[in-house]
Amino acid sequence: MVKLVFLGKFRALAREDADIVLPPGVRTLVDLKDWIARSDPPLGNAMAATPVQCVVNQSVVRDLSWPIQEQDEIAFLPPMSGG
Amino acid sequence: MQIRLADAPFDPQRAEADFVAGRTDMGALVSFVGLCRATNDGDAVQELHIDHYPGFTDKEITRLAQDVAARFDCPDMLVIHRVGAIAPGEAIVLVAALSPHRAKAFDAVRVLMDYLKTDAPLWKKETGASGTRWIEPRAEDRVRRAAAEGSVT
Repeated sequence: MVKLVFLGKFRALAREDADIVLPPGVRTLVDLKDWIARSDPPLGNAMAATPVQCVVNQSVVRDLSWPIQEQDEIAFLPPMSGG
Repeated sequence: MQIRLADAPFDPQRAEADFVAGRTDMGALVSFVGLCRATNDGDAVQELHIDHYPGFTDKEITRLAQDVAARFDCPDMLVIHRVGAIAPGEAIVLVAALSPHRAKAFDAVRVLMDYLKTDAPLWKKETGASGTRWIEPRAEDRVRRAAAEGSVT
């Protein structure tokens, strides 16, 4: 299982954080983003339309060839708007 | 370094007073309070909502504050940032810096605010008469943040 976390406008589209069994063939963050785009097109479109930061186990990961491990918590962050 | 995410209204003046209490070694306290406006771009705002990523948001704001405090020689900084639902008139954010002298405290507060606008994992959503919209980062905030990288001494 891995935990997916969506923030900001992505959360609004994904509705809930999800614990998922890693789908067959999904080994890296690129694979995972492609799978999200296929399985949830509105969310995939929103993620394709803006820069997305990936955070794995609470650390920023810039290289999307990053290999996903069991029990990882993987978050997708849209551009930030705090302050 | 004191960093707090608050899910309920807080009193900035009281927080500032607590922050400075007992400090006799500092000559300057500079603070900034950001407030929730009742209008934005001409539209009425009924409620602001700020989404955050528990654990990560705190960690990133702490890192930003530590970087700025070190850069401007401020022995202590305070950040309180609201998350969740916020009503017009309420404080959204308080940033304060303590320093022996004023110049670096002013710079530290201004630069940390610039970073919070663009680099803190927070996402604003406004609800008004015409519905709900997520706030996109402003180009001017990115320009200020880029300028903050190296312009201040």
